[in-house]
Amino acid sequence: MIQDSENWELLQDLFHLAEVTPEEDRERVLAEHCPDPEIRRRALTIFLAANIDSLEAAPKGAPAMSGKIGPYSVLKHIGTGGIGSVYLVERMIGGALQRSALKVLAPHAAGPSFAERFHREQHILASLDHPNITRMLDAGLSESGQPYLVMEYVDGVHLDTYCDGKNLDIAERLQIFLHVCDAVAYAHRNLVVHLDLKPSNILVTSDGTVKLLDFGTSKLIQPDSLLTVTVMATPAYASPEQLRNEPVTTACDVYELGVILFEMLSGRRPGGDASVAAMIERAVNEEEPEPLPDAVTEPAAAQRGLSEGRLRSLLSDDLATIVAKCLSSRPKDRYSSVDSLTGDIQRFIDGRTVLARPQTRFYKFSKFVRRNRGTVVTSLLITVILLASLSYGAWRQEQALREGQRALRMQNFMYRLLYLANSNFTGKPTVTVPEFLQLGVKLLPDYIKDPADLRKAQISLAESMYENGDLDNAQKVLTQTIASAKAAGDIEAEAESESTLGDLAYTQGQTDLGQTLTAHALELSRKPGISPSVRVWSAVYYAGNRDRLGYLTDENLHLLQTAAKESREYNLPPREVADTLYNLAFDFKLRERFDEAEPVYLQALQVYAQDPQAQCDQSAVYGELAFIKDHRGDVQGSLPMYQRAYDGYIACSGAESRGALEQLDNLSGALIKLGRAPEAVIKLKKAMPAWRKIAGSSPSLFDPLSFLSRAYVETGRYAEAEKVAKEMVEIETGKVAPTDRRFGISHYLWARALAGQHRYQEALPHAGIADKLLALNEVSAGAKQEGSAAHQLLLDIQLKLAHK
Amino acid sequence: MNEVSAAHGGDNPLPEPGEITIRLHEWNEGKPAAIERLFDLVYPHLRQIAGALFRGERPENLLQPTSVVNELFLKLIRQRSLRFEDREHFYSLSARLMRRVLVDHARSEGRQKRDGGIPVPLHEELIWIDARHAEMMDLDRVLAELEKLDPQKCRMVELRFFLGFTAEETAELMNTSKASVDRELRFVRGWLYDRLHTP
Repeated sequence: MIQDSENWELLQDLFHLAEVTPEEDRERVLAEHCPDPEIRRRALTIFLAANIDSLEAAPKGAPAMSGKIGPYSVLKHIGTGGIGSVYLVERMIGGALQRSALKVLAPHAAGPSFAERFHREQHILASLDHPNITRMLDAGLSESGQPYLVMEYVDGVHLDTYCDGKNLDIAERLQIFLHVCDAVAYAHRNLVVHLDLKPSNILVTSDGTVKLLDFGTSKLIQPDSLLTVTVMATPAYASPEQLRNEPVTTACDVYELGVILFEMLSGRRPGGDASVAAMIERAVNEEEPEPLPDAVTEPAAAQRGLSEGRLRSLLSDDLATIVAKCLSSRPKDRYSSVDSLTGDIQRFIDGRTVLARPQTRFYKFSKFVRRNRGTVVTSLLITVILLASLSYGAWRQEQALREGQRALRMQNFMYRLLYLANSNFTGKPTVTVPEFLQLGVKLLPDYIKDPADLRKAQISLAESMYENGDLDNAQKVLTQTIASAKAAGDIEAEAESESTLGDLAYTQGQTDLGQTLTAHALELSRKPGISPSVRVWSAVYYAGNRDRLGYLTDENLHLLQTAAKESREYNLPPREVADTLYNLAFDFKLRERFDEAEPVYLQALQVYAQDPQAQCDQSAVYGELAFIKDHRGDVQGSLPMYQRAYDGYIACSGAESRGALEQLDNLSGALIKLGRAPEAVIKLKKAMPAWRKIAGSSPSLFDPLSFLSRAYVETGRYAEAEKVAKEMVEIETGKVAPTDRRFGISHYLWARALAGQHRYQEALPHAGIADKLLALNEVSAGAKQEGSAAHQLLLDIQLKLAHK
Repeated sequence: MNEVSAAHGGDNPLPEPGEITIRLHEWNEGKPAAIERLFDLVYPHLRQIAGALFRGERPENLLQPTSVVNELFLKLIRQRSLRFEDREHFYSLSARLMRRVLVDHARSEGRQKRDGGIPVPLHEELIWIDARHAEMMDLDRVLAELEKLDPQKCRMVELRFFLGFTAEETAELMNTSKASVDRELRFVRGWLYDRLHTP
């Protein structure tokens, strides 16, 4: 037999010749090129061997998984992904067959500590309750010891198949994309990152509902595996830092969303079908992706109902900017959150300019924090992380380059925070929120070099401390910021810190200081160059607090009306607009101009209702609307609304929160009016310990005590009413002005309690004081009623004494 | 050296910075001694990472070796044992090493040849060789023959089928076109099949 080595080149030539020659001519054509029949035969042998379909013998498609996995009967194989195979399964639950999707995890992905990890994570996974996220139902080990996850089964098609199959236009695609973002943003608020977002993980059902798969699965993957995210994520959609194997954050999901959007809009992924090696090369070199319009092709345009040129121009302005921002190679250059990405897309859809200036983000952020009064701990943690990423997003670029090492440390810091925050779900909090915030203040100067940016970040953190009840530290930080802003002539920062510090002083009962600070801030905020947001909030803090002190001046009303108008004109974020409206409505309510208050409250409610994070705010509005009904005489009608406000507060900030307790008081007040005082007593007594925890023995205790004393009076429990009234006077003495209405109410209740026990002689002086003080304070219809009730009481007691 | 290196896979001593680069260049310049040293340097890492590949019971559980090698590549870059510019040599070397990993694995498993198995699973749609076949040792033997005949084609097979590179990636690394890679591999597939079936 001849050696192949001697005819190596010739064999190849003949082989390729055979490939292009029809079978009937093959012998003849090859003979023309090679006279040696043995070499020809050898070439043909190789040719025939090359055409044997060796795949025929290969195992095909689905693995031979059948029968049962755990309690689940396997119906069919659905697909195979990076970490395992998915099956459609069913199980008998409560007499009904329930279908779900079951994913068998490959052992290398699950690892030995899978069960423990799943146990740790299942709370958070099960807590993800969103219409666009498939629910995690169960997990376990199969008979053969393979770990599996059970999820809600979704009968849908992949995102790209859906969009292309229906020939959706750009507007329709953007709407679907917004649903995807909504789900991701929701998960981020719950501290879950996806890390493997791609069209095949996003299903669309026949009615157009978007469903995201595999949320949180990334957290179940063996953490100490040598096979890290690089392997687990789908490289075509993975963020550069995943490819570089650097710490992952929510910014990875933003990047992946960017790739998905790029593909949905243009028809292909950035970089086309680049090899993994090429993608890693780009990631290592921090190359920015190609511009969106460059990816447009004629068929893709046709599929979107446009000409190629039209699609290219449609994708060349704002949409190209939005996509490029998602796809920035460095996480800090991307959108700081999915919400800000959605915001820009919404602005594009509405035909407004997308936000270009990163500096404004600080302010919006701080307002976000301010609006989150009383929200759960976890959102605060997220805000700290967001803040961290925001603050170094504001770095000047050259500085960021110089301090690349620091940027990496910052990433590590954020990663660490995220990790620690997650451990809260195990019920073992590692670090308290105040500790987090203090850590943030300490670390900020290391990461933000620009003094103005640093001040903004500090104000944001101080506001977070304030919201979280850490008033002392908030005060400390704000005082520092004011000093530094004054020294630098940074009027905006000075105004913002002062008005916040002023609001804080009011909260602490230091009303004089509060008035001084908010008044000065208001003056500063009128100077040129101040952002609308600072102007609006300086006005709200000044006027709102003065209103609550009882100075219902025209100036206050005017300031609040202007603030509400400006907040809309300057497109402040919806929550800030709603908040300003709320303060205006509150002013109307205090003036008992209920007909004007009600529509403004309803406007505010409309805005709050769009935001699932604004549940507390919504509850507050319901409480106000109930109050208006109540004071217009529809007490019965106010009951369900008070109840709704109370339940809402319990859900958003807990049964012992101030908001919930206030609504409970109001609800009890309405019950007393309806002659159901015994029910009110039960509710009010139950709330007292929580009130004492919040208010100590400060005048804040006045409202709950006065409701309780009144409820006792109305149920004829005069001795208990007397005790409570006495306490009311004690907490007021030395803290509120001797002529204050609250003294009047306290003495009125005291007098009624004594009169009820037929101790008219003792009751007389209290009734006298009440009559005098409440007459002094007859500024409103409600107060007039109080005044005349006190006067009537005095007359009754005098009459009783005269009869004796 | 295979057994020794594999045994020490757990605690690989880090190579001197730049050593891998130097040896890669030597290897590429045709100094055969360099490859043994490279095997010592890189093989334990690769073996350790690839170990995860063999724990999967079914083919769909097997990971792409491309990912494994990318992982190793990044690791070495992070350790500054390798420079980014060396990636062509590195991937070629890794393809060779992966071949050795798989052969070692097949040998250690001592599996029996099956009847009606896949004689040469080098197919467009099956980008990676199924590691569990005893035919791996046979394939290794005929690949050694191929290397003597045409080292370029052997390298191509290693990249395409042992590392799971796409035809485009293989072409890019070998400075040729995708069409040439496809063309040459069609021939090689026939040749390998024939060699495996002729005693």
